[in-house]
Amino acid sequence: MKAENAAPPRILIVDDSSLIRLYCREVLERAGYEVEQAINGIEAMEKVLGQEFNLLIVDVNMPRMDGFSFLRALRESAHQAASVPALVMTTEAGQQDREDARAAGANFYLVKPVAEFELLRHVAILTGVPA
Amino acid sequence: MPFIKRTATTPPKSKEDHGISAPETSGLQNPDPEVRWSTARTLGGVASAVPALAAALEKERTPRVREALMTALMRTGNNDSVLVLIPYLRSQDAGLRVAAIEALQALPEAIMPFMTQLLSDNDSDVRILATELARNMPAKEATRVLCNLLETESHSNVCGAAIEVLAEVGTRDALPTLKTCAERFSNIPFLSFAVATTIARIAGTES
Amino acid sequence: MAPPDGPESGAIHITQEDVRRLCEFLYRRTGMSFDDNKRYYIDRRVVERIAVTGSLSFQSYFALLRSDTEHEIEQLVNAFTVNETYFYREDHQLRCMTSHLLSDLLPRKQRGDSIRIWSIPCSTGEEPYSIALWLMENWREVDNHNIEIVASDIDTRALKAAAEGIYGARALMRLSSDVIDRYFARIEGGQVQIDPGLRESIQFTRANLIDAQDMARYRDFDIVFCRNVLIYFDDASRRAAAENLYDCLRPGGYICLGHSETMSRISPLFSVRRFPEAIVYQRPEAKHDES
Repeated sequence: MKAENAAPPRILIVDDSSLIRLYCREVLERAGYEVEQAINGIEAMEKVLGQEFNLLIVDVNMPRMDGFSFLRALRESAHQAASVPALVMTTEAGQQDREDARAAGANFYLVKPVAEFELLRHVAILTGVPA
Repeated sequence: MPFIKRTATTPPKSKEDHGISAPETSGLQNPDPEVRWSTARTLGGVASAVPALAAALEKERTPRVREALMTALMRTGNNDSVLVLIPYLRSQDAGLRVAAIEALQALPEAIMPFMTQLLSDNDSDVRILATELARNMPAKEATRVLCNLLETESHSNVCGAAIEVLAEVGTRDALPTLKTCAERFSNIPFLSFAVATTIARIAGTES
Repeated sequence: MAPPDGPESGAIHITQEDVRRLCEFLYRRTGMSFDDNKRYYIDRRVVERIAVTGSLSFQSYFALLRSDTEHEIEQLVNAFTVNETYFYREDHQLRCMTSHLLSDLLPRKQRGDSIRIWSIPCSTGEEPYSIALWLMENWREVDNHNIEIVASDIDTRALKAAAEGIYGARALMRLSSDVIDRYFARIEGGQVQIDPGLRESIQFTRANLIDAQDMARYRDFDIVFCRNVLIYFDDASRRAAAENLYDCLRPGGYICLGHSETMSRISPLFSVRRFPEAIVYQRPEAKHDES
């Protein structure tokens, strides 16, 4: 658990949908988190290599580098960010998709559209800090 | 000075010197992925190569070569290319689906005749991807096809995708449909947010 | 937001929502993002572009922008960035080269292999000459290696000017007077000309990034500087250029893009490498090539 005056947890939201990013940003910032964004796996990698994050929220279907490719590349890298928790948030609801997500290195899986309370509850668990 | 200069352009040093010359397609069948890669890259804009590119794409497993095949189709960008790319929207492989969409997004005129069909496809994933294709259409057209979709679409993520594109391209013509959506989706927080944001974007312009 | 003063008054007014829409579009297409304190600056540039393009409304301007009519994306982006060329422009990447990239790639080379560096587009030569100057001024090992610098552009007039190596004060503004004295000679008209030894040691060629056959003549580069050009290409051309550049690099070779450019809007071919001075992109080393 962090000390009371610690900086708020930092979350990277990776999704090619501007409205999803905006929604998550508003929900999470209102709850006291710091939020950064990326539009696909390549931009996510650029950000992750340069800044510390407590949690990644990652879409799957994104242009140029999808979410699973990004997570695999991240987990395989020697970088200190390689083990940052990742929540996959996607439109796919099947069992195979969940397994694919786990295999790629996701820690958790949410199906869109995600409600505010559901998002916050999972973020709180995965960052180890209540909102 | 430590700088040296060769008088002629450096000849390729790597062992595979593919000596890229006039476009021809037989290299697409070569067992060496480097040859297939080099060949694919010479075939952009070569309309007669589309069938060979299509055949190669079906069998290709090397991601880099697949992308080069798609780039070539994208650069040709004619009706035939579009027909080759569309089926990949249904691929099980997320990378292929996304690559197909990227390629098709660059071809707004060529894809136009297929929009109605794609937006009413049985597969909701295809419908989601198809909304992206409306992005590069003229605003009036895009608004029309996306509003038509929203009027009858029940899958919430398809609606979300359509609203996303309307946030960028939607004209005032979209407002009545969006206001109906506001009521329909009042119980789905993200969609409610998406509709409100998009209405604000569209209504918030003066001119 | 008040409309601009002056003869254009009654000019188009753009709203907060318009700016949000435009910023989201630019972010998606180019990766450029604008925080709140840059927003006012954007308003002014957009209003200018609306006037210059003769657009009658934000909506009609935005339609022009989205369809990239007459390269409007390029025009708008140019309005936000400094696009003149000068020596030691974006020198953080030159610093990255001498602090990290060279030591990283040297172990992969055979004894006696030259270090090959490519500036494309080279425009009027400031960039390739800057690479040479920087190496001589900042790299302790510079005399221990053969270094080939190739400089290419699609514009033959620019190439001719580059080969001549004549510059005015503006191009030299980031150079110390020591460096100027060491490598340039004063000529008439208040201009300088770069050392003939340097002029002769750079290979200037005409090349088209998008043409695979053209680009096939270039191989085994260790570092490519391809700055501030890909951002202006359409998607298909960007991809073709990225594929060609990949092939021109040695496995493990690096590519540096312009300061407001990112491979995330271009191609997944390259790995992201982050150094203190810069993000650069790397062609995967051999064996990690195919997945």
